[in-house]
Amino acid sequence: MDNTLASSVPLAPFAGLIAAGLDRADLPHILRALPFGVAVLDRERRTLFMNSVLERLTGYTSEEVAGVPCRHVLRGSFCLHACPRVACAKSEIPVCEAESREGTLINRHRRKVPVRLTSVPVLDKGGDLLCTLDVIEDLTALKELEARLTRTAGPGAIVGRCSAMEHLLRILPAVAASDATVLLTGESGTGKDLLAEALHRASPRARESFVRVNATPMPEALLDVELFGQAGGSGESNAPRPGKFQLAQNGTLYLSEIADMPLAQQGRLLRLLDEKAVVPAGGERPMRLNVRVVAATGRDPEALVKAGLLREDLFHRLNAVRLHLPPVRERGEDVQFLLTHFLGIYATKFRKQVLGFSAEALSLLSAYDYPGNVRELRNMVEYAAMVCAGDLVLPDHLPPHVRFPQAAPPADDPAANSSAARVKHARKKV
Amino acid sequence: MAKKILVTLYRNEVAPRFDLASEVLLVTVDADNREVRRQELVLAHASADDLCDLILDREVAVLITGGMEEEHYHYLRWKRLDVLDGIAGLAEDALARYLRGELESGDILFPRGEHA
Repeated sequence: MDNTLASSVPLAPFAGLIAAGLDRADLPHILRALPFGVAVLDRERRTLFMNSVLERLTGYTSEEVAGVPCRHVLRGSFCLHACPRVACAKSEIPVCEAESREGTLINRHRRKVPVRLTSVPVLDKGGDLLCTLDVIEDLTALKELEARLTRTAGPGAIVGRCSAMEHLLRILPAVAASDATVLLTGESGTGKDLLAEALHRASPRARESFVRVNATPMPEALLDVELFGQAGGSGESNAPRPGKFQLAQNGTLYLSEIADMPLAQQGRLLRLLDEKAVVPAGGERPMRLNVRVVAATGRDPEALVKAGLLREDLFHRLNAVRLHLPPVRERGEDVQFLLTHFLGIYATKFRKQVLGFSAEALSLLSAYDYPGNVRELRNMVEYAAMVCAGDLVLPDHLPPHVRFPQAAPPADDPAANSSAARVKHARKKV
Repeated sequence: MAKKILVTLYRNEVAPRFDLASEVLLVTVDADNREVRRQELVLAHASADDLCDLILDREVAVLITGGMEEEHYHYLRWKRLDVLDGIAGLAEDALARYLRGELESGDILFPRGEHA
């Protein structure tokens, strides 16, 4: 039974509607059955009725707030400055059309909820405003989805349309779902770190930790503790210290440059991968570990093995699945796609109306060989979007080494050699 | 001992939302709850964080406001403020009720069910 109106003023909120010819005794039942929040407001936007969805959303019952101005019930971000009634009054239109706006409300439980409000005026037979129906949709799920999509399509996402990238993105979910060790290869700036994170996010371990390890040069004993932890001693100062592997328990451990790891630690890593256990420094008892290892290198792993910088047995163990990220210069048609992709992101970020690149700017950018790969391309577009004041990125908005390929420094300047080579390469392509 | 009470304002009402209030009423009362000073402040812009800073800066002891997020509520409670939130009504009514010791969080002071 609907008892929403069983208050001191039974059915009174609908008296006006009945008088106006909208004689529907079942109106509360109809409104209560709707899957979104509905509030019936009088001409002064005082609350007459709320359906059960809106009661749950706001935390108030219809009885508690009957007669209360809706701004104190909905507490919407649109209530104070963009209230439909105020906007309508300002426009000097006696009765406004239905309109929607997005915002947030703060409910009785002090929770901020993203919502969309659609205010629908209900008119009597004479065309005068009788009441207003405020339809409130809870956008929490949509906003969460949007945030998730932004995370996977923002500047930190892996995108690409060339065949190599399409293949990579196609097999990524299957690789992520498996628990196999993965070796990522690719030049600096191609996105190895992003790919490692994407693998983790798409894996069943996504809710657990993603721990990144940089095996930077440090004394071996210290690195041992850093990676594999330290067993506790007898005194208080000798408390056990977890290593990166322990921190990554049940999650993913990412070794960002495997060849930087000394051979002794490579041996321990190999044992860990085989035995799924590690003995912390200074300890005797092995500790069971459930960690997925993703390793990366910016160099050719076969060459590293030949040079004695990477243990061959570890290489074969890590090489269970190998994913290669091609450099930008080999991604051909992707350059324009990446330029447009990042321009869209940074134009939005900087609130600029930048629509694209001028033909000259695009020609310069397409001819450039991007030795810093996607990272360099992204930074270049960020800079261009930042300095661009119009709707097209012009050559003036590009860094000088892209803009003036002919102004290469003298070849005997060793510091500029790499830049000169880049420019030469770029000019050849033009 | 004097005590400062801050009421967030929207026109003559308690502001429905703490984070959107751009005006506040700051009232100082003595040990007998008699008003000794009254100030209305217009803020540069509405911001819950800035309002929290103002409240702490002015050594406010009691906050009377409308809906506020849990984060700010707990922050001010942690700073030992007496926070009366979720108040719907005229600012003067809310203040008078507080001084009489009759105001509680979530109180709706507007007349109810008198229309139709």
